[in-house]
Amino acid sequence: MNKTKSTTASRETGPKYWRSLDQLEGAPEFSKWVDHEFPSGAEAVTDPVSRRNFVKLMSASFLLAGLGMSGCRRPEEKIIPFAKQPHDYVHGQAKHFASAMPTRTGAIPLLVKQDDGRPTKIEGNSEHPDSNGGTNAAAQASILNLYDPDRATRFAKDRISSTRTLALDEIAAIATAAAKNRGEGLHILSGHADSPTRDRVRANLLRKLPKAKWHEYEPIDHDVHRRAATKAFGLPVKPYYHLDKAERILTLDCDFIGSEEDSHVSVRQFAKGRKIDPQHPEMNRLYAVEALFTLTGAAADHRLRVPASAVHRVAAQIALKVLAGLGIASSKFPGVKDTLIAHGAAGGVDPKWIDVCADDLMSSKGRCVVMAGQGQSEATHLLALLMNVALGNINKTVTLRKVSENKSGSIGDLTKALNAETGKKTLVILGGNPVYDAPANLEFGEAIESEEVTTLRLGYYEDESTPKNGWNIPQAHYLESWGDALTSDGTAVPVQPLMAPLFDGMTEIELLARLAGEAVFSPYELTRATFFARLGSRSEDAWKKFLHDGYDTAGAAAPMKTVKLISRVVNEVVRVANKEANVGPDLREVIFYADSKIDDGRYNNNGWLQEAPDPITKLTWDNAVLMSPTTANELGLKNMRGFKDGFHDKAFKEAGGTVADFHDGEHNLTEKGEFHQEVVTLKLGSRTISGPAWVVPGMADNVFACALGYGRDGGATVSGGTGRVGDGTGFNAYRLRTEESLKYGLDVKVERTDATIQLASTQEHGTIDGRSLIREANLDKFTDPDTGHGDFAKGMNMPHPEGIEDLPNGGIAYKNPLDELRKNATHSWGMVIDMNSCVGCNACVLACQSENNVPIVGKEQVVKGREMHWIRMDRYFSGDVHNPQMAHQIMVCQHCEAAPCENVCPVNATVHDDEGLNLMIYNRCVGTRYCSNNCPYKVRRFNYFDYNKRPLNDLYNSPLNPLNRKDGEWELKRWAKDRSKGNIAEDQWDLLKLAKNPSVTVRMRGVMEKCTYCIQRIEGAKIAQKVKAGDSADVKVPDGTIKTACQQACPAEAIEFGNIDDPKSKVTVLKAQARDYEVLGYLKTKPRTTYLGRVRNPNKDMPDYSMPETYKEWVGQGNHLQTHGHEGDHDHDHGHEDGHKHSDEGGHKATTGKGDHH
Amino acid sequence: MSDVFPRWTNKLPLRIIIGLGVLGAAVTMGVTYYFTPKYTRVGYQPVQPVAFSHAIHAGQLGMDCRYCHSHVEKSWFSNIPSASTCMNCHSKVLPDDPKLALVRDSYHNNKPIEWVQIHKLPDYVYFNHSVHVNRGVSCVECHGRVDQMDEVKHAKPLSMGFCLECHRNPEKYIRPLDKITDLAWEISAHDQLVKGKELVKEWDIKSSDHCSACHR
Repeated sequence: MNKTKSTTASRETGPKYWRSLDQLEGAPEFSKWVDHEFPSGAEAVTDPVSRRNFVKLMSASFLLAGLGMSGCRRPEEKIIPFAKQPHDYVHGQAKHFASAMPTRTGAIPLLVKQDDGRPTKIEGNSEHPDSNGGTNAAAQASILNLYDPDRATRFAKDRISSTRTLALDEIAAIATAAAKNRGEGLHILSGHADSPTRDRVRANLLRKLPKAKWHEYEPIDHDVHRRAATKAFGLPVKPYYHLDKAERILTLDCDFIGSEEDSHVSVRQFAKGRKIDPQHPEMNRLYAVEALFTLTGAAADHRLRVPASAVHRVAAQIALKVLAGLGIASSKFPGVKDTLIAHGAAGGVDPKWIDVCADDLMSSKGRCVVMAGQGQSEATHLLALLMNVALGNINKTVTLRKVSENKSGSIGDLTKALNAETGKKTLVILGGNPVYDAPANLEFGEAIESEEVTTLRLGYYEDESTPKNGWNIPQAHYLESWGDALTSDGTAVPVQPLMAPLFDGMTEIELLARLAGEAVFSPYELTRATFFARLGSRSEDAWKKFLHDGYDTAGAAAPMKTVKLISRVVNEVVRVANKEANVGPDLREVIFYADSKIDDGRYNNNGWLQEAPDPITKLTWDNAVLMSPTTANELGLKNMRGFKDGFHDKAFKEAGGTVADFHDGEHNLTEKGEFHQEVVTLKLGSRTISGPAWVVPGMADNVFACALGYGRDGGATVSGGTGRVGDGTGFNAYRLRTEESLKYGLDVKVERTDATIQLASTQEHGTIDGRSLIREANLDKFTDPDTGHGDFAKGMNMPHPEGIEDLPNGGIAYKNPLDELRKNATHSWGMVIDMNSCVGCNACVLACQSENNVPIVGKEQVVKGREMHWIRMDRYFSGDVHNPQMAHQIMVCQHCEAAPCENVCPVNATVHDDEGLNLMIYNRCVGTRYCSNNCPYKVRRFNYFDYNKRPLNDLYNSPLNPLNRKDGEWELKRWAKDRSKGNIAEDQWDLLKLAKNPSVTVRMRGVMEKCTYCIQRIEGAKIAQKVKAGDSADVKVPDGTIKTACQQACPAEAIEFGNIDDPKSKVTVLKAQARDYEVLGYLKTKPRTTYLGRVRNPNKDMPDYSMPETYKEWVGQGNHLQTHGHEGDHDHDHGHEDGHKHSDEGGHKATTGKGDHH
Repeated sequence: MSDVFPRWTNKLPLRIIIGLGVLGAAVTMGVTYYFTPKYTRVGYQPVQPVAFSHAIHAGQLGMDCRYCHSHVEKSWFSNIPSASTCMNCHSKVLPDDPKLALVRDSYHNNKPIEWVQIHKLPDYVYFNHSVHVNRGVSCVECHGRVDQMDEVKHAKPLSMGFCLECHRNPEKYIRPLDKITDLAWEISAHDQLVKGKELVKEWDIKSSDHCSACHR
């Protein structure tokens, strides 16, 4: 690779994609970051142990080793069988149980793997009628919550340890007292759930205690879909969208791929409409109106960026256009037209965008869908429903399902009641963390601290909401609970436990049944009773089938067939919404959004999710104040690196440092490629928060966005926060959020400060600069018989390095030993990743982490580029910096047939097997990292530390540290006694071990690792097939048997894996597609993983119609897609291109072949 | 200089070299023998909490291995029988034998017996019993003549070289499926080779000698 300091632009030959603004500008900091084979700092060792100490201690440890020669003898180990063999239990054989993860509006059907009694991996239940086995990132990571050492593990009274017996006595006392006065003074606060058993128990309770008050609160308002539909149609209904039947989709700030619930269903249905091949080129079209740049916006064919408060105006205009265009008599929706006309236009929106979008929807009457998101008010939802009714989508692409109507008070009502009423009050909090996440103006924490309030709280953590005056009862994880739920399509699913509660936790339904004084309070019996009641009989067989299959369609409410939109309600609500002013530089907006990783804060202590890079910002471990480049420029902010523009670190300044010190070589943080972000203060009303600024290209201007769920403090845990993982991450945006600004707030004031905070963003990690990695084109190019042929995607490849054609054997110097091995192999594994279906949701990243025991490394290490994720979800921007397009590419080990990593390993630790897997042999690896240096895809990960054995804040420590003394014992001595155990606290150690997959080696410090194509699953399937074959030759694993963890988790079915020697296998069929191409194929590494190029489907009449920005630019460089029969009419710089037919790398003749000189 | 270095020192460098060579060879041989599974494992014969004799059960009585090790064909792990398995017979046979006190105690009080593990592969080896016994590899190949052992001992080294020997030449070891648990089954080396080759072809056996076969 050349090491010239030329700017990125001049080396670029493919289309222009950029990952960060620095890369776009060709900033020197960026070049410095990517020019290093390893990110600067990744190699540096900053162990406090000096060399002298090291030698001294090593000699001591050799001595110890010498004394312990008995260590060469194997220690005596025991095998402890059961005293009585349980029926149906085979040690070492994993079992799978159907269960479901309850969500706020339904559930995700699951199939959970259990290894010797402990759940280890979560997978989707593909047999469920509304699931393909896909899940989302949160579901994949939820298993880590089960083994979270910081979860509530005790029954606590007044934040002091107590016992379960005493807690049960207290519950019984509350129940008795409530029964006496019919629930007077009893308040219950719960989250949303769609559980028939909870509904039933709740109804029983409220019948017995009619004076008790039920309140519901969720910081993220997913219930708005139901509320709006219920209002609009005057019936308790919830909309269900059939995206797979929709040819045109308009989302109004509805991030159905990311922050909406049921994303695993929406993504599956959406991706169905993007799976194209030359025979079936029909494709859906997505219009997205949004403020933030979300994954939905990234997937959209047309994206309109407007502030969140302007979305309802855009919606009103489109609705008006639709009503007018369809010629609907105004008597059908009386008064609506006038309301819409009065509503006014959103500032700065091209009216043509609205007109053409509306036209397109109208041309797909009954085959389109309009969706509004949870971040929008009821007004937007009503407008969306109005359009769906007008367009005839109801009962076609939108069905309305009847739901149980639970009338609840709000948390505002509750606070009022707690503050106002005199006399003793009892508050029962079911889950959630209201003290932390309630609207700030309520001062909920103070309300429950009143002496007159006794609180009984069922909580998964001991956190902010753990009552100082009352009980905290540990809540059972859903994998420890009996229960049920309805998925969004109305199918009943069981929540089946895989283990007994680890810490005697209780479920909501048990607590409610106890409070209601019911004789039966076992959650199992309660769930069964609900099931039998729905079934109408007590059939044990049906119950068993329910648990076995994991769903039951019987009794599901049929969609409402006849509904009528109540225009009066639409008019009222929309008119009220019109009072909001238009956002501009003088009136800025702040949006509070659910974090893509930790949601509303519920996963704050989940290390997997904390470290997963945000799909858009690529931030880990933190939230930030997001803003568009224009807004940042107006404030003089940008994504900083080092201390440019006179920014300075407050702490450093206080210590007497000056800006010049940072450039003295030792402190030159500029060179390290780190992000030190200036802290800005946001003021909304009388409240302020401050957080680091982060620039997101493509966001709406004059908008600031803060992810919720971070900045935890004031908890009751030992650490004083939410737990050892989540502590100290980000800032708390809830502090700014009041009842008036639950979703977004207007007139926010922003101020710069002189403080900076370092953020860990992976957006430039593993950058492959100046190479074309992505293939994009428009649908018309794909359907054009001239260009959409066999070399469609390959045709956009980069040229070969100059002169390679003259080398013998096509530039490959050596015979590949794999060619010989392959002849005798039973399978040849390969993978295809469809970039047209991939939406960048991170489910695969988390699934891989869970399946392959991938450790987390902590913020400090992520900054240094040492994150361990085997899957790198690359996110690229292209085009206009203010309104760019986005592309996702998951980058994993490509399992090159001619793998460059293998040639350079001095110890043969990475080698090939006959089936084409690029193996990584941990035992042989000595950690030279040559393989990683030589990997063109940058997919290898090195264990710089014993991440599995050390707490993240103690990574640099080692047993050899002379200062290291714990509990009066030298660390070295402790280490010598038991080298298998790390210095992680005992309680953590015991639990974290349980989350590991026993089929995958847990890697230690000093070894390289990378994607294995889930070799444990491959070998497992091969073994199962051989066992089945017995004395026959039927050893070939049938296609579809093996699903890699990423493939299994992918709701979009974007990943296909299988035997490429089998001409009928799905993977072979896909690889034959015209969209198939190899990333960096010109290097002749012959990767087994190939990609299907992305096809966009923009509307020709739209004002922002364009070819993919990158493609446009690529063509602008004088490139052409090859066309049949038009050979040789290109403008070439080189003369060697003619005469190469559509060969594997034929693309070189279609490009100018500029640059990339080696 | 002869005052300082007497004549015999002329040969000293050579002696030193030879001496070091011999020493080196001795150390190498010592390490390869004493520090490897051949020495450290073979012959390991710990005393078990219950004096169970395989020679009586599997040898004299002719019980099939799979009566007790019932999961060997299903799982990577060949289970050690629980006390309930012993009691299937011993509730009738020798019901009061003092040697079986621990087994009865285990069964009645639900207290597992702590057997001492003999055959153990390192954690980074993913050996699977089921795929071997279902595809023609007999118990005897790795465990020796357990049917003749009163107290089980480690008979084969179970080192990586030991595994590879068979993985590279399966025809030398493979046998018909009905002879898997017949530890006394004998066949001449020539017949084995002929029969083995036939089976390897017929069953499409491609025992991998790639790392992926055992390491994940």
